[in-house]
Amino acid sequence: MMTLHRSLRDERVWSFALVAPALLTVGLLFIYPLGFSAVSAFSAEEEGGWTFANFIKAFDLYSNDILFTVVIVSLSTVLIGVFAIAIGGYLTLGENLYAVAILKWLYRWPLFIPFIVAAQLMRTFLAKNGLMNNLIVGSGLLEPLQTQSFLDWRGIVITFVWKQTPFVALLVAGAMASLDRSMIESARNLGAGRLRILIEIILPQVRPTIVVALILSFVVMMSVLSVPIMINAQTPTMLTVDMAFRINAYGDYGVANALGFISYLMTGVVAWIYLRHGVRQGGSP
Amino acid sequence: MAGESLTVDGVKVSYGDVQVLAGVSIDVAPGEFIALLGSSGCGKTTLLRAISGFVPVDAGRVLVADRDVTNAPPDKRGMAMVFQSYALWPHMTAAQNIGYGLRLRKVARGELNRRVEETMSLLGLDGLGDRLVTQLSGGQRQRVALGRALAVEPRTLLLDEPLSNLDARIRQTVRHEIKALQQQLQITAIHVTHDREEAMVMADRIVILDRGEIAQIGTPEDVYNRPRSSFVAAFMGADNVIPLTAKRDNGGLHVSASDDHADAVLSIADGDEGANLIGSGDGELTAHFRSEAARLIDINERPEGSLVLFGTVTQTSYPGGIYRYTIDVGDRHFLVDDLKKLGVGDAVGICLPAKSLHLYSANPTTSS
Repeated sequence: MMTLHRSLRDERVWSFALVAPALLTVGLLFIYPLGFSAVSAFSAEEEGGWTFANFIKAFDLYSNDILFTVVIVSLSTVLIGVFAIAIGGYLTLGENLYAVAILKWLYRWPLFIPFIVAAQLMRTFLAKNGLMNNLIVGSGLLEPLQTQSFLDWRGIVITFVWKQTPFVALLVAGAMASLDRSMIESARNLGAGRLRILIEIILPQVRPTIVVALILSFVVMMSVLSVPIMINAQTPTMLTVDMAFRINAYGDYGVANALGFISYLMTGVVAWIYLRHGVRQGGSP
Repeated sequence: MAGESLTVDGVKVSYGDVQVLAGVSIDVAPGEFIALLGSSGCGKTTLLRAISGFVPVDAGRVLVADRDVTNAPPDKRGMAMVFQSYALWPHMTAAQNIGYGLRLRKVARGELNRRVEETMSLLGLDGLGDRLVTQLSGGQRQRVALGRALAVEPRTLLLDEPLSNLDARIRQTVRHEIKALQQQLQITAIHVTHDREEAMVMADRIVILDRGEIAQIGTPEDVYNRPRSSFVAAFMGADNVIPLTAKRDNGGLHVSASDDHADAVLSIADGDEGANLIGSGDGELTAHFRSEAARLIDINERPEGSLVLFGTVTQTSYPGGIYRYTIDVGDRHFLVDDLKKLGVGDAVGICLPAKSLHLYSANPTTSS
């Protein structure tokens, strides 16, 4: 009895020892900073005690940027969804084997490029005298004077979509490829065209994967600093830029943390959708 | 809806360098039920997919009612297919699955609902229309898959091993149901299966495929009683083989005695009365027989018109009702059932009446 007791206790000690590094990492690197920044967002810096002052200031100065961030990230998410479904759909239903092979090889490239490099690429591509306009002028479609720079909100959206579409397409195409092929053939057999098969047969079945991939993309885009800073050097801009500015220019951690908390609420909403989705799928998000 | 004739004319299909169909030709009459039978990899599913338009053919033609559909897309051939996995759409209800083809044909809502209900009651699926297909049993799913194909009133129904996922008891019932339905609707049906009994029970004619070629086409009685080759005989259950040496004359086939068997004079006839002989009958032959046609007799007995093999009982078992014996004849083993009780080591004769034998000349080119 004693031995059994001891071995159970030993086992408990060992299991705690095994999960301890993971717990410490989560605690020190995630829970503590998150809690600290939440507390700091609600603290009055000089007089001490709890306050909404940081939030009031954040909304006063940056409500346009909050809206801008929501619109940019939401628009990008929608476009990423559309392109990823188009790529996945073509990879699954495309009949030209060469085109499918080329697309399969090509579409993943942006996955391996960091955001900051992607932003730099887009700066040279989208500028008024950048590669895109040079190509358009060279092909005679526009006069040099008619060209315009895309280095504004459109540039951010283009960069986000270009960078994140492969990630979503990778997951979505994988889910589509794992569907029973005969489900597609049975629809073809009854006379359904490819677009109809994509929308009515394939999409409803891979919807959970699409939702999850888009939510992950949404959260990633919310946290990117390099792209808005490098592409959109004007206002309104994204919240990450404002946070960096509050800290670097004023050492104002209170407002920066309030902005961080607002970002957290936005991602919290999509995380809630993600979890709700997971529960509906039988607890396996 | 009445069935249409179907002609497969010299169809060849390859996957890369591997030729799967080496020039297959079949003529199917309107309303006929054809079973494509063969072992795995013989090309039967590929042939069905070539007929349905899912596999492009390298050579040859597919004609539906004399109309060339070789290059037509799958939905322009008047055919509907039932898939082995059923391929039902899990996000749709049973009724939505069945009505999908009608919706594509822009059938008005009222008419669509009426036809879906009609199809469901035809298949005994009343009251299950609102259920997701994932909530249905295997047998019910199979019916929904059949209903989805039948709802569009195809002239030809293609069935790709649709019963292989059902348990044995349900399979027996569904076989008869499909056959009855096909006769009632008078549609042409092509059914792929590797189950011999299923093909025999359901089909008007059976096409036996072997390595991408047709080994034999015929009615169930034909392929069972008069297999044209050693392969077909073995495939149709006559898989016990013994070599013989014989000479043929007007009196019949004179089989010479050997260590394994006695001499015998066997009648050769078409149909049930004599042995099924393919080839000249002179020289070396391969004899095929089914275990159930064999009878155990005293080793010294010589019944007229029968071949007697000399055997020794090496194993006995009692599966119920009869005894099952493993009998060694030379270095071959045969399983024979008999009512008599015998012991291991007993010498027995295996009596094979002429009509139970399928004989193939070792050199079939000398066929008379």
